Amino acid sequence: MENFIWLVPALPLLGVIINTLLGAAALRGSHHHAPGDSHDTHAADHGVHHDNGVRRVGWLASAMVGLAFVLTLVMLVQLLGQEAKVGEENGRFFDITYWQWMAAGDLRIPFGFLIDQLSLTMMLLVTGVGFLIHVYSIGYMSHDPRPTRFFVYLNLFIVAMLMLVMGNNFVMLFLGWEGVGLCSFLLIGFWFEQRDPPWAATKAFVVNRIGDFGLLMAMFAIWGLTKNAEGGALHSLVFREVLAPENVGSLQFVQTAFLGTQYTAAGAIALMLLLGVTGKSAQIPLFVWLPDAMAGPTPVSALIHAATMVTAGVYLVIRTAPIFELSPSVMNTMALVGVATAFIAATIALGQYDIKKVLAYSTVSQLGYMVAAVGMGAYGAGLFHLLTHGIFKALLFLGAGAVIHGYGDEQDMRKMGGLRHKMPRTFATYMVGTLALAGIAPLAGFWSKDEIIGHAWYGAEGGATHRGIAIFLILSSMLTAFYMARQVAMVFFGEQRDKSIHAHESSPLMIWPLIILAVGSVLGGLINLPGLHPLTSWLEPLLGEEAAPFHVGLAAVVMVLALLSGWAGFTYYRRAERRIKATHRDPLHRWGGDFYAIFEEKWGFDSLYNAIVVQPYKYLSNVLGKAFDVVIIDGVVNGSANLVGLTGRGLRTFQSGYVRSYALMFLVGVVAVLGYFVLR
Amino acid sequence: MNFINQLNFPLLSLVVFLPSVGALILAFMRGRREQARVFALVWSVLVFAASVPLVLYFKSDVGGMQFYEYFNWIESWGVRYSLALDGISIWLVLLTTFMTPLAIWSAWNVEEGLNSFMMLILLQETGMLGVFLAQDLFLFYIFWEFTLIPMYFMIGMWGGPRRIYATIKFFIYTFAASVFMLLGIIALGLLNYRFLASAGQPTETAFSLQSVMANIGGFGLSETTLKMLFLAFFVAFAVKIPIWPLHTWLPDAHVEAPTAGSVILAAVLLKMGSYGMIRFNVQLFPQISAEWARPIALLAVIGIIYGAMLAFAQTDIKKLVAYSSVSHMGFIVLGIFSLNSQGLQGSVLQMVNHGLSTGALFLLVGMVYERTHTRELADYGGLWRVVPVFVFFLLFATMSSVGLPGLNGFVGEFVVMVGSFNSPIGWTYTAVAAVGVILAAVYLLKMFQGIASGPYNERKTPHLSDLNRREVAILLPICALILIIGLYPTYFFGAMEKTVADLVAFVANAAPAVAGR
Repeated sequence: MENFIWLVPALPLLGVIINTLLGAAALRGSHHHAPGDSHDTHAADHGVHHDNGVRRVGWLASAMVGLAFVLTLVMLVQLLGQEAKVGEENGRFFDITYWQWMAAGDLRIPFGFLIDQLSLTMMLLVTGVGFLIHVYSIGYMSHDPRPTRFFVYLNLFIVAMLMLVMGNNFVMLFLGWEGVGLCSFLLIGFWFEQRDPPWAATKAFVVNRIGDFGLLMAMFAIWGLTKNAEGGALHSLVFREVLAPENVGSLQFVQTAFLGTQYTAAGAIALMLLLGVTGKSAQIPLFVWLPDAMAGPTPVSALIHAATMVTAGVYLVIRTAPIFELSPSVMNTMALVGVATAFIAATIALGQYDIKKVLAYSTVSQLGYMVAAVGMGAYGAGLFHLLTHGIFKALLFLGAGAVIHGYGDEQDMRKMGGLRHKMPRTFATYMVGTLALAGIAPLAGFWSKDEIIGHAWYGAEGGATHRGIAIFLILSSMLTAFYMARQVAMVFFGEQRDKSIHAHESSPLMIWPLIILAVGSVLGGLINLPGLHPLTSWLEPLLGEEAAPFHVGLAAVVMVLALLSGWAGFTYYRRAERRIKATHRDPLHRWGGDFYAIFEEKWGFDSLYNAIVVQPYKYLSNVLGKAFDVVIIDGVVNGSANLVGLTGRGLRTFQSGYVRSYALMFLVGVVAVLGYFVLR
Repeated sequence: MNFINQLNFPLLSLVVFLPSVGALILAFMRGRREQARVFALVWSVLVFAASVPLVLYFKSDVGGMQFYEYFNWIESWGVRYSLALDGISIWLVLLTTFMTPLAIWSAWNVEEGLNSFMMLILLQETGMLGVFLAQDLFLFYIFWEFTLIPMYFMIGMWGGPRRIYATIKFFIYTFAASVFMLLGIIALGLLNYRFLASAGQPTETAFSLQSVMANIGGFGLSETTLKMLFLAFFVAFAVKIPIWPLHTWLPDAHVEAPTAGSVILAAVLLKMGSYGMIRFNVQLFPQISAEWARPIALLAVIGIIYGAMLAFAQTDIKKLVAYSSVSHMGFIVLGIFSLNSQGLQGSVLQMVNHGLSTGALFLLVGMVYERTHTRELADYGGLWRVVPVFVFFLLFATMSSVGLPGLNGFVGEFVVMVGSFNSPIGWTYTAVAAVGVILAAVYLLKMFQGIASGPYNERKTPHLSDLNRREVAILLPICALILIIGLYPTYFFGAMEKTVADLVAFVANAAPAVAGR
């Protein structure tokens, strides 16, 4: 099987190639009326459902991802057949190098894959959820004028995401890391004619690049500073070499001073990696791109901005855990970043009216749980929540997509209401997702969230407890239940507030993925059910983590609190229904007042960055471009040229043989210099 | 003519002068526009074909110069005609022969004086190849100055409205700076002549680079004199690259130059500066290079950030791309003065990469300008729907320039920064350079989204037609190379490995202070 690992990313890549060629051929076919004839193309854009080929390209793309999923399953069976532990070492992995990607001096970056427990788990999520979302998209994009392009991007995303989780070294990971960034950019800006999507796409790419800066710096430092056991330079970025227990420790012995503080190299590297994590996984301070990324089509939000890409940061932390372990202070920072994000994003979700924005901030908040978990060293719990969240948040986004699709592309929840009658299946599955997200037993979210909160409250065996973090996580979990209850009440209950929109249930192609994901959201807890802990024991040879005990009391308290909070939210919004109007602010505004305004304004992060980064950069660039470069730099040079009488006269006499006379002057000068040297 | 090479054939001279022969033949094809342009294209492809054996027969495990050929030219002065190439120049030679046919093909529809235009491109090619291959200081200087002339006429006669200003600025900047280099060359040649004469050795190699390199330690020069000589070369190359703050000629020249001129200027001419810096500043003055690595790197990173900010401030697409060159060339200089394998190999590869991606960007800007006659970013928008093929290539070139992993730009910049991070220049400079990577995304995506996305402006950009077959055929080979270098740069690194390793060892030997890595 290990000979066929390359097929997993190659299949979706094949989908990209075939669909691109088909699309190019179609473009040629329509060439006779395309050139510049914008009326014609415009008509095609809004044309009434003519055959846009969505089924052909869509099924091809889906089949490729489905096959990749099957191959991954086969690989899982194969890995299970290997001995889990060989001595003290992890026995279940394939590490395959295909070719030397970069080799310069002693730099050696292989192009290769590492398949172990962690990457295989991620691959299952990516291809599994990816496949369902591909199928769903066939229905969702059936009216879109450019389905081919959509599925090409979507397949390309799967390729890049697989590179990210399969790469056997940092640079391969970075290849996927920026590759998913490109696909995210293309898909957020998919509806490029509109005003917001292109802007949101650029914002996402640039903010992610700030995080990538951290990753780059971390890679440079790791390459230069890791030493092998004998103290020789390792000069490698391969995970299994750099992160080997006997090598990674060398990072602790190098110190660097920055702004008057001493850092160990390990601490500085971990901090830089953390910057990358906050970018990709949308944590404070770089989370601002994710809510705007909702401008893309909804399946994209489900796949990229909920289930897979945004979890890459959590994956990175688990993968590079040996480096983070060397720096407890960075770990603490990470846990604090995670819990702060979880809490703040949950409050912002409370103040949103766009059905997708609520889910977006909810995603930011849930990612905060995962980051907090890995920051506390609870890698298994973080990965567990990553998986269950990937399933139920994909379900919620696809459900929201079904609502939007079946409700005239309207996203404002204040215009919805009463949709449970018109969309019974969407409603049923959405409720499953909501309960799972709110952490109600026995659904998936309950188990994974509880494992994180349990770890925070009681600490690991012999480890420190993080009670403060636990309290804020519980508060966030109450907020989660509240804003989801608010959403469900506003969307599905009461009366339909905008009667002009014809609401209808979506096609089976869209409903079936919802049902499958709903089943997953119910059963997802089995992945790491207390008592059995299949996930923890599967990861144990890699992470060396013991299964945590289940704390029934704490779990019950957390769930009761979530239920109470959800009940409160639901009844409040049911009672206040008459006050929900598209032109009015939220009923809660009467109670919360200025506090609520802060939530609505997203705590002012965007305005702050605009004031301290974006505007100054624009201003400075303009000053440099319009004034400094032209007046000062050019002025000095032109001025000194004028001083020796070259340009001033030259500009006027150019056509009257100026260059010839200059050449003559030059020749005289050269002869003089030559003469001086020769005759000296 | 003597030639010591694996082919027993003066292949380098053939490659260098073949384009001029073509130009000569073109002179006899006046008035026959159709044939002339086909001839020019076919001829330049032939030149490329003639240069391919250089790669095939290149011995990457052998250090030093290969394909050496020479004859004594001005014997009494010790000036030789000598050409050779090594792992550093081989890809620049190939870049030149690769880009020239594409530039010629892009100039297919030049209206006035097509013959002369094609002649100039071919003459330009001879000059540039000569610069990369000359092994004699005097010969190098002649080729170096010769490259000015065709470009001067290309901008001055086929350029935009402010072409006169632009050409003069271009000419004076580069010419004035080269005078310093000429002084340096004469001084080195005469010193070497005296040294050889006093040692009783034959003086016919007085101006030859290898001889100067070997003997410079015996000239008995004070450190101040060495520094003056270093600066004489440095200024000439710094203007050409250009290094901040000597860059202001570049945007003007680019904006006024015709498309083919811009392509050659960005893809190859600028590389003469960075090539010269390795060949002369580093090889002849290793100690001073090591000593001044930091101040020069400072200029380089200022250029990276400054170029990025100025690119962002532009509203003219072509000017934006021009300033992006200032930013990208900063990485190359940073890599050179890292003085280690990664830095040097990365920057040589980055020279090729920048030639491909910025060349492609200038080609694309030229193609769309031909249709719309506007370069104002604000006039554009929504081209994704109208001309999807154009936007596909624009996206490709933009992403290459942004430094997306999997494409060529990333490999070059990554390896350069690995080098500079782990060199005496240190991590702070590298961090600033890496900020430039963020800023590259800012200005390039501003450009890309401004052109491709948003509402289509039919009034400002009417009757757009998508790229035709010729234009696609020009861009496809570039994009293919962008992808190949992005995924398998090992092949390109392999050829320069030995040469660079020798150079690094040589520098480390001469300047033990930097021998740390």
